[in-house]
Amino acid sequence: MNKPTTFLLLCLLALLGITVSASGAAPKQAEPLNRQAEARHDLTIFFANDVRGETEPCG
Amino acid sequence: MGGLPKKAQQLEAVRGKKSAVLPLDGGALLFKDEKFPPDQREQLIVTAQGIVSAYNKMSFAGVGVARQDLAAGLPFLLGAQKKANFPWLSANLLSRTERKPWLKPHTLLTAGGTRIAVIGLTDQEANALLTEKDNAVIATWEEVLPKELAQLRGRAGMTILLSSYPPAINRKIAEAHPEIHLILQGGNTQGNTPPERVNNTLITQVEAQGKSVGILEVHWNAQSKRWEETGSETLLTDKKNEMDRLGWQINRYRRQGEPTQAFKEQPQVLEAYNDMLARRKTLEEEVVRLTAEQNARDANRSRFSSYSFHFEAMRKDLPDNPAVRAIVDATTSEVNRIGKAAVKARISDSTGRKQEGTPEKYAGSAACTSCHAPQFAKWRGTQHATAYDTLEAKEQQFNVQCLPCHITGPAAQTGQEMLALAHDLRQVGCESCHGPAQAHTL
Repeated sequence: MNKPTTFLLLCLLALLGITVSASGAAPKQAEPLNRQAEARHDLTIFFANDVRGETEPCG
Repeated sequence: MGGLPKKAQQLEAVRGKKSAVLPLDGGALLFKDEKFPPDQREQLIVTAQGIVSAYNKMSFAGVGVARQDLAAGLPFLLGAQKKANFPWLSANLLSRTERKPWLKPHTLLTAGGTRIAVIGLTDQEANALLTEKDNAVIATWEEVLPKELAQLRGRAGMTILLSSYPPAINRKIAEAHPEIHLILQGGNTQGNTPPERVNNTLITQVEAQGKSVGILEVHWNAQSKRWEETGSETLLTDKKNEMDRLGWQINRYRRQGEPTQAFKEQPQVLEAYNDMLARRKTLEEEVVRLTAEQNARDANRSRFSSYSFHFEAMRKDLPDNPAVRAIVDATTSEVNRIGKAAVKARISDSTGRKQEGTPEKYAGSAACTSCHAPQFAKWRGTQHATAYDTLEAKEQQFNVQCLPCHITGPAAQTGQEMLALAHDLRQVGCESCHGPAQAHTL
């Protein structure tokens, strides 16, 4: 194998090594946020008041 | 505007898009006012029964009790509750003798994975509508609410109050009870009111007569049970923009050289430049502070609850829900039939003479023509001149709820008088605005 190819291969391996070690850290950081997010629930409140005996539009 | 069929269709549309929908009504559902004339009772009761059927169809989760809902008497409301598949809620409409609630004080339900308590409170003024026979009293919120909330402690992740107390009292309730997260108001004359945050409570309502509905999208944190603090994101943006503008102006000065030298002979210009430098320093400090606050809010966002809302106007072009449309049509048809029968009974006596009435001092618009022909001609081209005709087209010309706005005559006319009105007063005529004209035409 020639020198440039060897150099490129080493760089690629180094890059892969950095990526793997970084992804290993990510889940730990996300955990506290995930637990907080689990406590939130979505709800739609459809509200009215003062119909005052009105069934139909006026006019 | 308005209309139960459109409200029902909008609710169905929301249910189609969202997984957890909670329909609630703050109260004042059945009647316009807390008192009505006896000769209108039959028509108003039929209308109220139709509204209950429509709300049954819509599967409302809870409805508040306002003083207007007691206009036909407590026994009527209790009877209507038996036919309703939604609960009317009032924790303070109590029996006088046993101090127990006549209706459900609260309901517990689950929506969106959250256990929700919905409590009802009725405005104190409703006491004036209760009779001795009713064995009922409206207790104060100070007496009832703490006990109700104590009972619900630990049983619900969110608490909603349907209150027909005036807005000022609802604010006091919110200040005293941060464990109430939302107050839906009813029974007052405010229009659409965007959610107002008081302590840990949002207070809101829509305008009367079904002209709008409100849709509140909640992201609820059942652990913290607190609404997020809102800061002013726009304030931070404004400060940054002002800083950018100042920076540009300062650079303009500097392009002419070191300002202390360049403007040595122009003290006013140098003073203006120094003022700009001082202002920029102040803005830099404010931006740092506001950014830190913004970052803290963003970091804590998921710990608190948030919401967005909008009001949906029940516009004429919105589609009707067919099932509720059928209920409303049947109701209004029955109301018109009752009114028509009343007119027939009144105007046909044993002599066969017509008994059409004309309120005292009214002359009818035709009497104005002889002296005011151009004005009369102009009026004939307006919708006022066909106001009664529009009722006839909808077969509502015998509906005493519709008539007051479609005829001429004093507001104090009884239902019987309105139904048997002389023909030339059956539009919104000249005397609606200009007053009774009989003396003027003599």
